[in-house]
Amino acid sequence: MSVAVSSERRAAHIRSERWAPALATLLGLLLVAAAAEIVLDGAAGISPLIPKSPQIAGWLEGVGERLGYRVFLIALLVSSAAYGGLIALAARARAASEDAASGAGAGVVSKRFAIVLIAALQLIVFAGPILLSTDVFSYIAYARMGVEHGLNPYTHGPVAIAGLCPSGCDPVFKYVGHDWLRVATAYGPIYTLLSYPLASLGVVGALWGMKLEALLASAGTLALTWRCARARGFDPVAAILIVGANPLFVIYGLGGAHNDLIMMLAMMAAVSLTIAGTPTGRREAGAAAWVVAGALTKATVAVLLPFMILSRRRLAPILGTAAALALGALIGYVAFGIHGIDVVAALNRDAAFVSTDSFAVEIAHLFGKPGVFPVDHDLLKAGLVLILVHLSWRTWRGYDWVAASGWALLAISVTSTWLLAWYILWPLPLAVIARDRRLLVATLAVQALFILHQISPLLVPVQ
Amino acid sequence: MSSVPAESAAVAAEERRWRLLPPRLRPRAEELKGRGELRLLETLVLVLVGVVLATATINDLARQAGINHRLVADLATWRHYTGHDYHNISIDQETLGVDKHREVLCGNTSPGAPKSRTQICLAIWGPVVDGMRTVHGGWYLPAYVENDLPDERYGCFGIGGLRRCSR
Repeated sequence: MSVAVSSERRAAHIRSERWAPALATLLGLLLVAAAAEIVLDGAAGISPLIPKSPQIAGWLEGVGERLGYRVFLIALLVSSAAYGGLIALAARARAASEDAASGAGAGVVSKRFAIVLIAALQLIVFAGPILLSTDVFSYIAYARMGVEHGLNPYTHGPVAIAGLCPSGCDPVFKYVGHDWLRVATAYGPIYTLLSYPLASLGVVGALWGMKLEALLASAGTLALTWRCARARGFDPVAAILIVGANPLFVIYGLGGAHNDLIMMLAMMAAVSLTIAGTPTGRREAGAAAWVVAGALTKATVAVLLPFMILSRRRLAPILGTAAALALGALIGYVAFGIHGIDVVAALNRDAAFVSTDSFAVEIAHLFGKPGVFPVDHDLLKAGLVLILVHLSWRTWRGYDWVAASGWALLAISVTSTWLLAWYILWPLPLAVIARDRRLLVATLAVQALFILHQISPLLVPVQ
Repeated sequence: MSSVPAESAAVAAEERRWRLLPPRLRPRAEELKGRGELRLLETLVLVLVGVVLATATINDLARQAGINHRLVADLATWRHYTGHDYHNISIDQETLGVDKHREVLCGNTSPGAPKSRTQICLAIWGPVVDGMRTVHGGWYLPAYVENDLPDERYGCFGIGGLRRCSR
């Protein structure tokens, strides 16, 4: 009886082995086709999903049609389904390869396939127009304010370079999102200084520079994710596939050239220093310094520091943090004055914003409220503090600090009243290398709910 | 070979450093393999949070679809009432009360760029019947006025426009 069952399972496995690589290829092609559809249609011209922008993808014009909500959402759903299928296949292949009896399956999603697929997706998006967000124009505006106009981007919003619009204003001004015209930069001084060399390239040159920065940051993040996954004994192919082929990562993160990718690169550099290779005081101090560098790009990543320090319980990461913070603060102060290092004020200001995609607003609607009120902000902050205290205690008692950091980043995005697609990317590279697999499930579930929340124009289109 | 004693010496030094703390509060390099009660409790909380988030998301999706259905009817009503098949029509859901399902739709009275002509604003509410809702009044706004404020309005008419004009 058991021999019969065993041979039946083996036969089923051999059958599945035949179709699995073909299915993986098909899913990969679907991902590429969906990304290409969005980019080609986006390049066609005016669309509510494409921010007003200088013509940087004119050579793609004429291939696609104007990008509407319907096509965009169908492409997003197709790529999400294909992505889900692909990571399920990768996970299945790993389970099969771990099964000593069968000893097969690892080749379903090969290293070469994963790298070619991720590279294709990222290059397609890189070649196209800016997708879904005007943020990159704010980055350029802040850089041009400092370099071209001698204005401090920490004390002025882009409206300061409006001049005599429409004739005499800075060329980037008209592309900055309306909501951000009067808002000074909330990004760290390292990021602002990093963007300064691009300012003198003109708007188009700066735009390509920002896109290239995002692409390189993405590639670096993926390389470090690979390194960390291998160091921890996880399948590196599955790890980079989960991060690099993620539709939110590719279409929203890279498509918008968001500086979150640079923050994630610094985050993974820090994690890589602590978990790949022999732990030494110097490496741990360096890791802490990388987290500080990331936080001086975008403050959120600072949440890793307490978990790193609690797990190590050594002086080196504290010294690394202090030294990097002192250096960063000095640079920020010299370049931008006291406002350049007042991260708390920027965070407090941003914490008051509300977006319709935030879970807080969705829950308010569930309870019949029109939106979130100041008391809700306080409740959410209290909830976040409780989560961070619990995670800190767990880390102190031996829980994986990488997982704790990932949970903290996920908790920040879920409790934020200002939730954007690229915020729920923060925990993803940590989730694929964390020892607690619940983090990956939770991160992907939150992303799936975010995508689900986007589809209302598909249900009842507004003309 | 020699790293094992060095490692155990480091562990011993670590233990000495925290010996003033009660055992339950001392840090650990790795978690103890317990009965998994804490993990089970955490998983339970995560599942509950997941259920709340999923319910809230689906509820909001249905709410948005309902709003879209209403707004489609509002746009059709504005076009039918004014006789203009314009696409640049602004929709305000706050002036007549948030969550009261009463909207103000403003659009040009003659062809031109958005807000570059005199605008007619219609106060619309009620059930959707045959793809349209009822116009209960409204007002006019001069060209190039960005914000619909009482000081800018004129020619208020109907119940929807009652006491909405300052002048």
